[in-house]
Amino acid sequence: MLRSRLVPRSVLAGLALAAALFMPAAGAQEPEQPRTVRIAISGYENNITPFNVSFGAFPVTHDLMHLVYDSLFWSQAKLEPEPWLAERATPNEDFTEWTVELRPGVRWHDGEPFTAEDVAFSFDYYERFPELSGRYAHHVFDVPPLEDAEVIDPQTVRLTFRQPAPQFPIMPGADLPIIPEHIWSEIEDPGTVDEELPIGTGPFKVTEIEPDQRYVMEANPQYFKGRPLVDRIEMPIVEDPSSAFQALRAGEIDQVARNLPPELVNQFADASGLEVLEGTRFESTQLYFNARRAPWSDPAVRKAISLAIDSQQLVDQVLLGQGREGNDGFIHPDSPWAGENNGHESDPQRAERMLEEAGYNAGSDGIRRDERGRPLSLEVLISSFDPLGLRAVEQVARQVRRIGVEVVPVALDPATLRDRRQAPEGEAPTYDAYLSTLETHAHADPDSLYYFFHSPGEKGFGAAITGWSNARFDELSERATAQPPQQRQALFDQMQSILAEEAPVVVLWYPDGNYAYRPAAYEGWISDPGHGIFTKRSFLPAYADTGAASTVEDVGESSVWPWVVVGLVALVVLGGIVAVRRRRTEDPEEDWGG
Amino acid sequence: MLRHAGRTIAQYGLVVAAIVVLNFALPRLAPGDAVDYLIPPEQAGTLTVEQRDRILSQYGLDEPVPVQFERYVSGLVTGDLQSSIRYGQPVVDVIGERIGWTVLLVGGAVMLAMLIGTLLGFRSAWRRGRRSDVGTLSGVMLVDSMPPFFVGMLLILVFSVALGWFPVFGALPGTEIAGLSAIGEILQRLVLPLVTLTLAAIGPIYLVARSALVSELREDYVLMARAKGLVGRAVRRHAQRNALMPVVTIGLLEVGALVGGAAVVETVFSYPGLGRLIYESVLARDYPVLQGVFLLLAIGVILANLIGDLLYPLLDPRVRRPPAAAA
Repeated sequence: MLRSRLVPRSVLAGLALAAALFMPAAGAQEPEQPRTVRIAISGYENNITPFNVSFGAFPVTHDLMHLVYDSLFWSQAKLEPEPWLAERATPNEDFTEWTVELRPGVRWHDGEPFTAEDVAFSFDYYERFPELSGRYAHHVFDVPPLEDAEVIDPQTVRLTFRQPAPQFPIMPGADLPIIPEHIWSEIEDPGTVDEELPIGTGPFKVTEIEPDQRYVMEANPQYFKGRPLVDRIEMPIVEDPSSAFQALRAGEIDQVARNLPPELVNQFADASGLEVLEGTRFESTQLYFNARRAPWSDPAVRKAISLAIDSQQLVDQVLLGQGREGNDGFIHPDSPWAGENNGHESDPQRAERMLEEAGYNAGSDGIRRDERGRPLSLEVLISSFDPLGLRAVEQVARQVRRIGVEVVPVALDPATLRDRRQAPEGEAPTYDAYLSTLETHAHADPDSLYYFFHSPGEKGFGAAITGWSNARFDELSERATAQPPQQRQALFDQMQSILAEEAPVVVLWYPDGNYAYRPAAYEGWISDPGHGIFTKRSFLPAYADTGAASTVEDVGESSVWPWVVVGLVALVVLGGIVAVRRRRTEDPEEDWGG
Repeated sequence: MLRHAGRTIAQYGLVVAAIVVLNFALPRLAPGDAVDYLIPPEQAGTLTVEQRDRILSQYGLDEPVPVQFERYVSGLVTGDLQSSIRYGQPVVDVIGERIGWTVLLVGGAVMLAMLIGTLLGFRSAWRRGRRSDVGTLSGVMLVDSMPPFFVGMLLILVFSVALGWFPVFGALPGTEIAGLSAIGEILQRLVLPLVTLTLAAIGPIYLVARSALVSELREDYVLMARAKGLVGRAVRRHAQRNALMPVVTIGLLEVGALVGGAAVVETVFSYPGLGRLIYESVLARDYPVLQGVFLLLAIGVILANLIGDLLYPLLDPRVRRPPAAAA
C-alpha cells in the first residue's frame, strides 16, 4: 500500500523537476545577434524547385519559391509588373518577339554569374519537361507557345512566340522562376529530389532542409534589390492550423503563412504582442457545375441556382464578415483584370420564374422535376480539408431549397475528389458540381478566363473544369489572348457578362486575407495585393514597411472558443482536486486484508 | 517442441505472404492515383493524355498490374523499395528519416502506458468497488473517450500557451543548439506528444490489467493463500504475476495500432513520425511509401507477437508445458 502511494508522488515530483529543467530561458536573445524570423508554413515542398514542389504549402508555394528564385518581372498581380531580373523587355510590332535586356551584375547563390544563357535555357527546359512543372511550364508551351529562345549577347535574350504575346511581362515574365543552366543542364530527371539545396538568384538561400520538419534560409547579402532586412528565416512545417496559431500565441514562431480563420481574427488583433495585417491573395471559393450533365447543362437551371444563392449571407455567417460577396464574372474584384464589377445578383423570385418557364415543376415533396421526372438534386463535392466550404454548402442547401432545388454536400478526401471529377476521354464526368478554392494566379493571369472557360480544345483546361462551352465566349477569349491590355479589358468585360448570364460557376465569396505576426521579431511586413504578406517584397529594404503597421479593425463579436477552453481546463482541475481530496479522506489501511 | 516451432514459423510465413499481397492491393484500390496529387487540381486539366501517361510511366504506374506486382515482390527480395512519388527520394531514406522519431515516441508511449496502466489497473482491482476504484475507472474512461487531438490541443493550451513550459510543435532542436542541450530540447519537445499518446493508450491496458487481476483474485489459490493467513502484499504478489500475461499481450498489440494511431498526435504536434508519413502518403496515393511503411508495420507487429510468445513462458510456468502434455 505504502509503495503504491509513493509511486504517483514520485512521478509527480519527477514531472515537476523535468518541467523546471526544461523551462526555456527567457530573454536569451542579444541585440547583436542576426535577425531571425520564424514563419510556420503548412506543408513540405521537397527542395523547392519548380519541378518538385508538391504544393503542400498551397497557397503560398509560389511566394515561397520566389524567395529563392526570381522571375524576369514581378509581380503577376500588377497590370504593369516591375522589371526584376530583366531591365526592360521590348516587343516587335505584332508582339510575337520580345527582346529582353537583363540586369547586369546578378549572381547565383553559388557565385556563378547570371546571364542570358540562363534565361534561354530556362525557357527551353520548361518546354522540355512540360508535365513536371505543369503549373509553370504551361505558360511556355501553351499560352503563349514558345517558338525559340535565342541569346543575342550575355545580357540580352530574344524570345519568339508562335502567336502574339502582348502580356509577356506578366505571363510568363512575372511568373516563371529562372533556373541556373550550370546546375540544371546536367539534370535529366528534374522530379527527383537529390540532396542538393536549390540555387537561385533570390533574396534568400536555402541552407537547411529537414523533410516534413523545416527549412532554414539565409539572406543573400549581394541581392540586387538590396540586402534583405532579415538575416535568417526559419520555416517550421506545421500542418495543423490550430497548432500553428497556438505556436504563434505562445511566441514560438513570429508569423503563420496562412490566413487567420475568421473566428480568430478579433482574438488575435486584440492579443498583446501580435498584429494582424490585412492583405488579399485574390482567393476565391466557387461552385463549379458539370455543364455536360443534365439538368446542370441547362443554363436556366444554373442561373436559377446562382440567383437563389445569397452570397452576402454566406460571407456574414460562414466567414463572419471576413470577406466579400462573389462576382458573377468570376474575376477577383482586386485583380487588375476585374473591370466593371458585376457583383452577385441574388433574386430568388426571378429564379423561381426561370425554373417555372423552363418547365421544372415541383413534385409533392417540393423538389422540382425535369421533363423526365428526375428531381433537381445537386450533389456538391467538397474537400474534407475545407471546413468553411462544407459549412458554406450546407448554407447554400438551405438557400436553394426555397426555389425547389435540393443540394446534397459530399465531403471527400482531395485525391478521391479529383478522381470523381475526371472521366475517360470522350465521356462526360459523372459529378454534378464541386467546390474549389483558387488563389492569385487564377485571377491575375490575363489568360485565366481562357484557361478556365474556353471550350475543350488544344489549349487550356476546357472541359476539365466545367465542360461548359459557348461559341461566342470562345471567339472573344481567343481574340483577347492576342490583344494588348486596353483592348483586352474591353473583351474581358464582354466575356464576364457571358459568364454572369450562363453561370458555369458561382463564386460564393472572396475571403479577406488576415495575417498575424509578432512585430517584436519583425515589423516590416507589407500587404502586397495578390500575395498577402508572406512575399519577398516584405523583406526588401525598398518595399518593406519601416513605419508602424496598420491593424485590422475590430468587427463583430468576439469568439467563444477561449472561454470553452478555460471552462474545460477548470473542469479538469476541479475534478482533480475533488479526486485528491477524496483520496485523502480515504483510510489508507482500509483495503483487503491490509 | 521443434514441430511446434516449425508450425509457428509456417503460420507467420503465411501471414507475411498475405500482408505482402494486401500491401500491394489496398493502396491501389483507393480511388484516384498519384497524378491526381502531383499536379495541382486546377492545372491537372492542362495535361494531355500522353503527358499523363508520361508521368505515370516515370513511376512505373502505367505498366499492367501483374508486372507492377512482380517488380514490387522482386524489389522486396532485393531490398529495393523504389522511390517515393511524393518525396522523390528512395522509400528506404524516407522511412529511415522518420523511424527513429516513431521509436522514440511510440516506444516511449507504449512503455509508459504499460507501466502506468498496469499499476493503476492492479490498484483498482485490489480495491474493486471502492470509491478509489470507481474514481480511477471513470477517470481513465473519461481520458480514453477523449479524442487524442483534443487532449493534445488542451495540453498545448495549458502547457505551451498559458505556462510556456513546452513547445507546441516539432521534434528537432533549434539549428544553433548542439550537444547535451540538443538532447535536452529533443526530450522537451517529446513531452507533450508523449503524454498525449500515452493517455490515448492507457485505457485498454488499464482495463485489461484490472479485470485480469480481479479474476485472478477469485482463483482458488488466492483463497488458499488467504486461508493460510497471508494478507496484503503477499497475496497480491502471487496474483499479480499471473495477471500480467494478458497485459503483456494487449501491450504488444497496441504497438502496431499506435504507430498508425499516432498520426493524429504527430499532426497536432508536427512530429515527423511514421503515422504522419502514412497519412500524407495516403493523401498522395504514394504507393511505394505505403507499401514500405505497411510492410515495416506488419513485420513490427509480427515481431511483437513473437516477443510475446517468448515472454509468456518466463511469466507463466504453465505455458512451458510441452505441447504433447497439453493434448
